[in-house]
Amino acid sequence: MRLIVAQTRMELTTLLRNYEQLLLIMVIPVGILVFFGNVDVLPDSVSLSRLVSSVLTLSIMSTAMVSTGIATGFERSYHVLKRLGATPLGRERLIWAKAASVAMVEAAQILVLLVIASLMGWSPDAVTWWKLLGAILLGTSAFAGIGLTLAGRLRAEANLAAQNGLYLVLLAVGGIIVPIDELPDAMAFVARILPSGALAEAMHTSLGGVTSDVWFSYASGSGVWFDLVGWAVIAPIVAARLFRFDT
Amino acid sequence: MSTVFVVNQPLQSTALEVRDLVIRYGDIVAVNSVSFVARHGEVTAVLGRNGAGKTSTLEACEGLRRPTSGSLRVLGNDVSNGDTSQRARIGVMLQDGGIAPSARVMSLVRHYCRLYDRGVDPRVLVEQVGLQHRATSTWRRLSGGERQRFSLALALAANPDIAFLDEPTAGVDLDGREMIRDIIAGLTADGCCVVLATHDLDEAERVAQHVVVLHQGKVVLDDSIVNLCTGNRRLEDVVREVTR
Repeated sequence: MRLIVAQTRMELTTLLRNYEQLLLIMVIPVGILVFFGNVDVLPDSVSLSRLVSSVLTLSIMSTAMVSTGIATGFERSYHVLKRLGATPLGRERLIWAKAASVAMVEAAQILVLLVIASLMGWSPDAVTWWKLLGAILLGTSAFAGIGLTLAGRLRAEANLAAQNGLYLVLLAVGGIIVPIDELPDAMAFVARILPSGALAEAMHTSLGGVTSDVWFSYASGSGVWFDLVGWAVIAPIVAARLFRFDT
Repeated sequence: MSTVFVVNQPLQSTALEVRDLVIRYGDIVAVNSVSFVARHGEVTAVLGRNGAGKTSTLEACEGLRRPTSGSLRVLGNDVSNGDTSQRARIGVMLQDGGIAPSARVMSLVRHYCRLYDRGVDPRVLVEQVGLQHRATSTWRRLSGGERQRFSLALALAANPDIAFLDEPTAGVDLDGREMIRDIIAGLTADGCCVVLATHDLDEAERVAQHVVVLHQGKVVLDDSIVNLCTGNRRLEDVVREVTR
């Protein structure tokens, strides 16, 4: 445990010194929440509660997938993971430390976002907290799996481009900002398969929203959770199989 | 120069035993039935040209690469079977550093001292490798020689009973080499086994007591420096002969 605590502290220190990562995990989600919460550019169907669930989804994706994926990709290319593997920390504790640092960052992100949302008039009264926690855990598992799969196979620069590209695609058409039932049919079909749409919807229902009709098309309304659980199980398994600690 | 190391093993006992080590990368046999031993209180230099199998052999000993076959006993533990319980007593200096460009000298040395938990004072360690004036610098701002000394400091954070140093003097100036030589001498004086992979035969001749030469993945020479370098015979001549 002592080694995991020491490595977690190092991971967090490194993150706090990296301004690009801070921009990604804190400034962008807060900026989107404040901007779209105050400027009337989204469809009328997007309530403040829907926007909050979307921004929480975005923050999970930013931290678990993009931030972790990019940092791990560069650590792999600089042989940092290999070097740490030769210390008493070992690979297994290193993974636990990374998971702990992601959990702490997400807790801080969600707290900040919910406080800001409250200041903007959103009320937490309708929140089902255990559902919200479940959505966060499943989403984190799914996106960390995707991020680490890319980080563990691609060159650092290609990984950087892939993570950022995927982030933008999911943000635009993944059912995060614009709900799936507002997207054109073809896009909605793709967005339903992606983890971003499922997580945004799971967040939305956790915050007291009503599940969109598109999810009733399979598994009688539980489809969103089946989809999310599927990604949360499969993505880490793929990452564990494909990840290479060294280039 | 004061050192921070303590005597942990009786001199001359076996610290590393490599037996019939084979490492394959697909169809390529990088290490082909390599056997040798390295002892406490001695520097064993593993020499050879590029691609001879030096780094692969060292990485297998460090537990970073699983051998295709053969046995590797490090400080009495069978590393080839995945037993890494002795990691806290093993110092490692990788050829490619293993340090992020944004890592600061004192911060990372302090972190490694925490991970190894062997009672090493990070400030003393940074001073020992001559980086006290660069304590807050990042790796990317260090010169080539300073980077090597930074990497060496991380190996020393283990207060090692065995140290694997891959090309420790590559790109290091004369003063830096002398400093590294002194550190290695301090390690062996305290009973540590130092296994050194290098291309620099002059350096090997100065610091090593035992030489293992690899050529095309095989051991072609395994002897003491005293036996090899008699009269005016230099290590360079000996190595050239056996790797022709």
